[in-house]
Amino acid sequence: MMHYKLPATPENVHWGFFSKTIKPSLILKSGDRATIDTITHHANDDYDRMIKGDAEAEALFRWTETEKTIFRRGAGPISGYLKHGSGEGLGVHLLTGPVAIEGAEPGDVLEVRILDIYPRPSTNPEFKDRFFGSNPSANWGYQYHDLIEEPKPREVVTIYELDMSSPASVSAVYSYQWTPQIDPDGIVHPTIDYPGVHVDHSTVTKREGILKGISIPARLHFGTMGLAPSEADFVSTIPPNYTGGNMDDWRLTKGARMYYPVAVDGGLFSVGDAHATQGDSELSGTAVEISMTGEFEFVLHKKSDLPGTILEGLDHPMMENDDVWSVYGFSYANYVTELGPNHQYEILTHSSLDRAMRDAFRKLRRFLMGVHKLSEDEAISLMSIAADFTVTQVVDANWGVTGSLRKSIFKYS
Amino acid sequence: MRRGLALPSSHVQYDRINTDYVSVSAVNEGINIRQFIAESYPPEARKQAWAEILAELHLQSVTIDNTTKSFSSVVLYGDRDAIVFSRLVASAQDLVSVPQRSRVLMGLIPTDEDISITGSELKLDVPAGHLLVLQMDRPWTISLPTSVRLAAFTISDALLQRRGAGWVPFAAPRRYTAKGLASVFIRTVEEATRNLDALSSAEWMSLEQFAADLFVTMMVESDTTENQATPGPAALFNRITLVIEKRLHDSELSAGRIARLAGISERYMQKLFEQNGESFTHYLRERRLQRARAALVTPASTRLPVADVAYSCGFGDAANFNRMFKERFGLPPGAFRSHYFSCAAERGGVEQRGWPVKALSSKKAASTNLEVNSGALRDKRPIDTSVQTKYHHLRVAASTVHWGYFSSALIPVLEIGSGDTVEVETLTQHASDDPNLMIVGDSAAEDVFHWTKERKAVDRRGAGPIDASVFGRGAGEGFGVHICTGPIYIRDAEPGDVIEVQIEDMFPRPSCSPGNEGRFFGSNVAAWWGYHYNELIEPIQPREIVTIYEIFPEDGCAEALYSYRWSPQVDPYGVLHRTYDYPGVPVDKSLVEINNPVLRNIRIPIRPHFGVIALAPRETDFIDSVPPAYFGGNLDNWRLGKGSSVYLPVSAHGGLLSIGDPHAAQGDGELSGTAIECSMTGRFRIVLHKKNRSFLDLTYPLIETPDEWVLTGFSHPDYLAEFGMKGQGEVYAKSSLDLAMKDAFRKMRRFLMGNHNLSEDEAISLMSAAVDFGVTQVVDGNWGVHAIVRKSLFQVD
Repeated sequence: MMHYKLPATPENVHWGFFSKTIKPSLILKSGDRATIDTITHHANDDYDRMIKGDAEAEALFRWTETEKTIFRRGAGPISGYLKHGSGEGLGVHLLTGPVAIEGAEPGDVLEVRILDIYPRPSTNPEFKDRFFGSNPSANWGYQYHDLIEEPKPREVVTIYELDMSSPASVSAVYSYQWTPQIDPDGIVHPTIDYPGVHVDHSTVTKREGILKGISIPARLHFGTMGLAPSEADFVSTIPPNYTGGNMDDWRLTKGARMYYPVAVDGGLFSVGDAHATQGDSELSGTAVEISMTGEFEFVLHKKSDLPGTILEGLDHPMMENDDVWSVYGFSYANYVTELGPNHQYEILTHSSLDRAMRDAFRKLRRFLMGVHKLSEDEAISLMSIAADFTVTQVVDANWGVTGSLRKSIFKYS
Repeated sequence: MRRGLALPSSHVQYDRINTDYVSVSAVNEGINIRQFIAESYPPEARKQAWAEILAELHLQSVTIDNTTKSFSSVVLYGDRDAIVFSRLVASAQDLVSVPQRSRVLMGLIPTDEDISITGSELKLDVPAGHLLVLQMDRPWTISLPTSVRLAAFTISDALLQRRGAGWVPFAAPRRYTAKGLASVFIRTVEEATRNLDALSSAEWMSLEQFAADLFVTMMVESDTTENQATPGPAALFNRITLVIEKRLHDSELSAGRIARLAGISERYMQKLFEQNGESFTHYLRERRLQRARAALVTPASTRLPVADVAYSCGFGDAANFNRMFKERFGLPPGAFRSHYFSCAAERGGVEQRGWPVKALSSKKAASTNLEVNSGALRDKRPIDTSVQTKYHHLRVAASTVHWGYFSSALIPVLEIGSGDTVEVETLTQHASDDPNLMIVGDSAAEDVFHWTKERKAVDRRGAGPIDASVFGRGAGEGFGVHICTGPIYIRDAEPGDVIEVQIEDMFPRPSCSPGNEGRFFGSNVAAWWGYHYNELIEPIQPREIVTIYEIFPEDGCAEALYSYRWSPQVDPYGVLHRTYDYPGVPVDKSLVEINNPVLRNIRIPIRPHFGVIALAPRETDFIDSVPPAYFGGNLDNWRLGKGSSVYLPVSAHGGLLSIGDPHAAQGDGELSGTAIECSMTGRFRIVLHKKNRSFLDLTYPLIETPDEWVLTGFSHPDYLAEFGMKGQGEVYAKSSLDLAMKDAFRKMRRFLMGNHNLSEDEAISLMSAAVDFGVTQVVDGNWGVHAIVRKSLFQVD
């Protein structure tokens, strides 16, 4: 067993897209481990706390009139008329990877175990060894067209501090309303429409003393973990899909094992979008977005070994931890195929919890019938009395409902 | 993470670049939708928000004091310089239009109640389904006599001119009946307003153009059929037909009488008929025959003999009626009726839960189905109030339950005071799925479920007609299924107060069946109203499956005993139940095939809770017990077990608390349509909170567990008000998790802003970071999403 390290350097990241065309940053064997650094794409919401003094973060976010370290941000066009910038922000997450697993082929299942997860400290002397994250209430949030206070609509960024003393908790530091920001290329961003734009704090008004006396238990997790899909060369990181991606389930934390169907040779696993905490639904559009490091173990399950295991017939992401199995229902189980060539745009107007619930129901039924060998009638009775359906997120275009089943139900024999 | 794609909007903007009338700001704001829903705001902020949203329609409310406290909502979409569509639900009030300098027309279509318009010299009634067009150049008063739903739109002069239509000023409002092109337009507007939230920008643009074209053509081409400001012959004729319509039942009706009632000479009236290519006699006969034809197959009168139908439509002689009917429709009336129902039966077979909307309409017209003798029930206090104890035991019996409905007209079975403890026995309505295990030997259960050829102890099961005239399933039609113990009268509880129901303890009811004494059993039905029913994959399709469970309270778990597929059961009155369409039908085990073993080696952790905890609704009708709403009811949230409380807003004097639908275990979702339904007894402490600050704002059931607040969101939080009288049927057709999520979000925002004094921005950030939204149920007509906030979040200081 080898243990690798993958720092978040410019060569090891890609921003806003999954792609089968990128060269792997790391190639390892089934059973190997890797420590992978991730940096949040919201770090520039407060440069002083989340970037300043951190050599890697500074490198990734470097963007001047003459230099932009990470040129493409998103799966959109990178030349011609650009409204927001290269890649058009069609996909926003700063991902580390991809990691290729030797011998992984379409039809196999890749298991990724999260062995540990911990935050990345601030290296600015002023905030040394403290941890900060950002929670924008953004234009893609559930609330944006349903606000009651003025001005409407508006985007508000709230900066949080994560306190790792036990039990770990999160509390708000200050907030500000987004004001139009001009990037070094001269493009104005009236809303949060492109990732990594530096927020000039002289243009915003900070509100201190907010969410006073409120302390939120931490739920450290990675919002985005997934493999490269096979259907297109560049796929936005925003909608989660059959190879995983932007799942935004806070249960993807230490002790969780994710199973992904492999779509391309090597699998090509990428991770990022770390969160200090999040509620089921991720209502405002983001969680408490923070930079974190994870330790992962990779286990490849070859297609021929799947029959008779819980992975038999798996064509969607599934999570397992000590207590539950979870399957993920989406508005569209594979939106890239289902919505045709214009899927990147179509998915935005087709979000629905009702569809996601249908999908979760079907996936859990298949799991109970296929894996646990129950009849359909047994599966349905069991789902009604023992399976819990929760709202995963209503902000990632392809909305999610999680169906979970406690493992203890089956322990008895 | 972020997922706003700015690209699509740029794409849209590109398309719009050559259209001169779309304001760029509207494009930049994305979907230009504005909405108000009372549930979002604390009471003191509603008035202002209501005024703001009405201003978008150039309206203001002049009697606003109490109007926003009850359910109201507005959704608007569009550009004021072009066309704005809106959907409005508002309680009784007057709306006054604010005169506009730029020329603007407003259209109003009341959905199911009549409204009236008053101007300086004019008063005009607008019946439901009609369209009224006003020029917004002077103050009009729009009177909403009761809670109404309206589709409204404004259309600007500028837009009309762009469509090549010159401005034709008109002083008086124009009213259009749903005929011809006006009908198409009315339906278009109604449908559009129903789908406002689902329209993309591109779809909106084409709708806007289409609607404007249609509107212009309608204005130019169609006559204003009823313009009472200038009553011409057409309007007069219309009035005469209405006079006739009201008196069709009168067999003595003559041309002379009608003319007198209309205030014109008989000769002039006959002339009017001639101008319309008719004669009075022929017209009257045709209308009577049409009326009779409809009455023969109207659910409310299907049991009336043909002769009675004939008399009720003004035919003096049944033989004559039979002959005329056959001449006109090709079949004698009796044959016509049976033919209609046999065809309906073939069409049918599709299960219908709750009231069918058609039956509700006729129910309103007839109003004969309600057997509540409200006069006699005015005094709802139980007779004996001399002994006032602090601890009560409410036994379950046929005399202490009501089955399948809630009503403020029910006589209470117990009176208690605030702070009292009451032990309440409840029975599951699914005990009849295995009467031997769950009923036999238990004298109370035997009493409640007693049903022989001669006697049915609890006749009414559901809110439907007592004569089962809709589907013939049985008294109450099974429109509502839960056996509820109560109601309990809480002294001094008044509308506006809040009642807290604390569940101190709960325990299952032991079987008394010989050989099974002391064991505990429950039933889970995968029923036709379940989420899975229409997409089963294994044969036979569709099917209903009953699984009987044994519960082991000491071990905290349940195990499946056996299951069977529902087979048609004949109840003791001889009615065949092909599906599980009526509660309490005793299942004859010899008619079903038992599957055993099932769910082997699977042990389900139990979550004992009460599915139904309700106060009486404010509506006067019997209310179906299945859809939960503001008064509580069928909440089906497993967190409502021992140690938890629910707070319910009071709508009737004494609150009238009912409890039932006990569950041994249920998952979030209650997917198959039921939980493990198992009779249980609970010990409750009831606390009355008089109107005060902390609960002033509560308009929905709020659950408190030891660690959390659980807010209940529904597809339609007050479906009875929102859908009007059709609510009891419509809610089943219009449920959606997407709507329930919206409601849960709005309630949680209000909770955090109102109860924890957060700003909106703080509330939203906190919801994203720390509030968990989950699926409560997708099977109770009014689907639920709950929002959970941990109390510990607020304990720092």
